[in-house]
Amino acid sequence: MTKPVIEVSALAKSFGDNHVLKDITEKVEPGQVIVVIGPSGGGKSTFIRCLNLLETPTSGKVAFEGQDLTTLDQKSVNKLREKMGMVFQGFNLFPNMTVLENIKLAPMKVKHVDDATATKRAHELLQRVGLDDHADAFPTSLSGGQAQRVAIARALAMDPKVMLFDEPTSALDPEMVGEVLNIMQELAKEGMTMVVVTHEMGFAKSVGDRIWFMADGYIQENNTPEQFFAHPETDRAKDFLSKILM
Amino acid sequence: MKKKIGLLLVIVVALVLTFVPLGQTNTQSAQAADNSLEKIQKKGVLVMGTSPDYPPYEFQATVNGKSAIVGMDVYIGQQVAKDLGVKLKVKSMSFDSLLVALQTGKIDMIISGMNPTPARRKNVSFTKAYYQGGYDIVINKTDKNKYKNKDSFGGGTLGAQTGTTQYNAAKNQTKNTSVKGMTSQSDLILALQSHKIDGVAMEKPSAEAYVANNKQLAAIPAGFSMSSSATKSAIAFRKGSTSLVNKVNKTVDKIKKENLVKKEYLPKAGKYLKTNTVNTSMFHYWKAFLTGIEYTLIITVCSVFFGFIIGILLALARMAKGNIFKNLLRWISTAYVEFIRGTPMMVQVMFVYFGLGIFVNLPALTSGIIAISLNSGAYVAEYIRGGINSVNIGQTEAARSLGMSNGETMRYVVLPQALKNIWPSLGNEFITLIKDSSIVSIIGVTELIYQSNIVRSDTYRGVAPIVVIMVLYFILTFTASRILNHFERKMQHD
Ligand SMILES: Nc1ncnc2c1ncn2[C@@H]1O[C@H](COP(=O)(O)OP(=O)(O)O)[C@@H](O)[C@H]1O
Ligand SMILES: [Mg+2]
Repeated sequence: MTKPVIEVSALAKSFGDNHVLKDITEKVEPGQVIVVIGPSGGGKSTFIRCLNLLETPTSGKVAFEGQDLTTLDQKSVNKLREKMGMVFQGFNLFPNMTVLENIKLAPMKVKHVDDATATKRAHELLQRVGLDDHADAFPTSLSGGQAQRVAIARALAMDPKVMLFDEPTSALDPEMVGEVLNIMQELAKEGMTMVVVTHEMGFAKSVGDRIWFMADGYIQENNTPEQFFAHPETDRAKDFLSKILM
Repeated sequence: MKKKIGLLLVIVVALVLTFVPLGQTNTQSAQAADNSLEKIQKKGVLVMGTSPDYPPYEFQATVNGKSAIVGMDVYIGQQVAKDLGVKLKVKSMSFDSLLVALQTGKIDMIISGMNPTPARRKNVSFTKAYYQGGYDIVINKTDKNKYKNKDSFGGGTLGAQTGTTQYNAAKNQTKNTSVKGMTSQSDLILALQSHKIDGVAMEKPSAEAYVANNKQLAAIPAGFSMSSSATKSAIAFRKGSTSLVNKVNKTVDKIKKENLVKKEYLPKAGKYLKTNTVNTSMFHYWKAFLTGIEYTLIITVCSVFFGFIIGILLALARMAKGNIFKNLLRWISTAYVEFIRGTPMMVQVMFVYFGLGIFVNLPALTSGIIAISLNSGAYVAEYIRGGINSVNIGQTEAARSLGMSNGETMRYVVLPQALKNIWPSLGNEFITLIKDSSIVSIIGVTELIYQSNIVRSDTYRGVAPIVVIMVLYFILTFTASRILNHFERKMQHD
C-alpha cells in the first residue's frame, strides 16, 4: 500500500476557550478527493487551514507524506507548503499584479524558475483554465468565476501534490459556480489529490471519493458519498442533510 | 553686543550635558597640558565661527561674483591667523550655536561681536577686547525732533533683538516704556517703519549702517549706562587655552595700537556694505536664493530617501512578535517612534549636530540630513504600519500557502500594496519636509530660510526676501505635489 499524502492524528485546535477542533484522526490517500461538509461554524475552515499550518494546531499531529509539520522549523514548513496548493473562498489574487504575474510570482521567487520558463508554464495553466486571453488583465477586471480559475492556476503553478479548497464557489454568483467546479472535476480526473470544503452537494456526490461530515469539532462520519447521502448514520448528519435542499 | 542666550542654547547645553563625563575629561586634559597653541599650528587651520547677520561686524556679501562672509571681525580673524602662521577658515552659524560649537570642537574660536560677560567667561576663555562699541537708537527721521535718547520714549515702545545686552538695557533702564523683542534686526526696522514701535536700540556700527542705507531713518545716542565690558567685543577660545589666548592677545594689542579697526577694517567692510546695498533688488541675489533652493532640495530628497528606509525598518520592527529578541526589538522601536514624535525636530537637529558632535565631527549638512531622516523615519514608520495593516490578511495567507516565507510575502505582496495605499501620506510627508527642512538653518546649513535671512540683513529689506522665499517654497511644494499626483493617478490605473 502507498503511504497517505496527509495523515492527521488527534488534531485539536482552540481559540482561547473556543475548542473548535477537538480530536480528529483521518488520512488522505494519494489520488483521493475528500469532500468536507458540515454546518457553518463547525470548524471546516480551521481544519483545512491546519493542514498547511496556516493555523497552528493546539495539539496533535499533521503529517504530509509522513513528515509531521508541527515539529518542523519555519523554513521546512515553507518548503512543504509549496506542495500543498490552496484555493480560498475570497480568491485572494494579488490586485497589484496582472493575471500572468500572479501566477509567475511564487515559481520565480520561491523556486527561482527563470522568467521564460515561468511565463511559458503560466500560459499553459491559463489555457487549461480557459483564461489565456486575460493574461495581462488585472484581477479587478475579472468576474468572480474568472478570478477563482486564476487562483487555481496560481496554486497549480507550484506543481503541488495536493490541492486544498476552502469553499471555492461560495462567493460566486450562481451562474459562475459551474465553470470553477468543472475545472476542479478535471483536476480530480487527472488524479490530483484534493481536500475540498464545499456546500455543493452535486459535486460532493459525483466527484468525491469520501465524504467527511464535520460538526462540533469532530469528523462525525467518514463514508462514501453513496452511503453518506443515502444512509447518514448520526443524527447530526441527518439533521444537516434535512436542512439543505438537494 | 549680541548676547543671545536663547532657550535653544539652554536646551542644547542640557542635552550636551548628558555627555558630561566625556566633556570633563576633555577640558581637564586641556588644562593639564595646555598645548592649544601648538595644536592649532600643527593643524595649520584656524576655524573661526561667526554669525554673519550683523553688519558691519560680519555679514554676507558678493565678492568677485561669489557670496562670501566679510566684515571687521573677519579681517581681525585673518590677522590672527596670519600672526599664528595658519590658514583661516570661516564657518557660519547662528549666534545661539556659537558657544556650543566652540565647546564641542566644531570651531576653534569665535569672533562674532561677542562681549566677554562673566557668564560666558565661565565656559570659554576670552582675549583682551579688540573693539569698544556703544549703543544708538534708530528712529524714523520724521520723529527726529521728538526723541533725544532712551528717556524720550515714555509711553511708547522700544524694540531690540531678543536676548541682547541692549534688550536688557532697554528693559531695565527706561521708565514707562514697553520693550518689544524680536529675533532679527531687519524685522525690527520693519516694525519701526510701519510704526509698530518707536525706536530700535542697537549697536552703533549697525545703527550707522542702517541709517546710511535708508534715508527715512535716523540715529540718536541711546545713553545707556553700561559697564565698559558690556560694550566690548573679544575673541573666544576653548576654556583653558592659555598659550593660544596669550599669543592672540599680542595681535589684539597690535590692532588696538595701530587703530586698525577704525582705520582699515571698518572702511573695508563699509565698502562691501555699499556695493551690497546699492542694488537691493531681489534679482541681484538670485544666486543666494538658488543656493537656498539647492540645499533645501538636497536635504529634503536625502531625508525622504533615508527616512523611508528607516521607516520601513521601524515599521517591521514594530510588528515583530514571538521570542524575547523580537519583543525587545518591538519595544525599542515603539519607544523610539514615541520619543521622536514627542520631541521638537529643532531640538533633534541640535542634538545630532552638537550632541553627536562630541563623538564624531559631522558637518552641519550631514547632521541636518541625519536628524531629519531620523525624525521623518518615525512618522513614515507609522504610515507604513497603517498601510501594512490595511492590506487584507488573505493576501498574506495566499502568499504563505504558495510557500513564500514571511520576508518574501512582505517584500513582494504586502509592502507593494501597503505603499500604494499610503502613497498620498508619503507624498504629504515629502511636502512637509520641503517646508520643515528650514529648521536646519539654525545650525548654519545654507538652505532657503538661512539664505533669506542673509539677504535680509544684507539688504536691510525686511519683507521682499520673505515674499521671495514664500513664492519659492510654494513653487517647490506645488511642483512636488503635481508630480506626486501624477504618479498617484498612474498607480490607480493599475
Ligand atoms: N482566528 C480565529 N480566532 C478566533 N476564533 C476563530 C478564528 N477562526 C475561526 N474561529 C472560530 O472557530 C469556529 C470555527 O470557524 P470556521 O473554522 O471558520 O468554521 P467553518 O469554516 O466550518 O464555517 C468559529 O466559532 C469561529 O468563530
Ligand atoms: Mg469556512
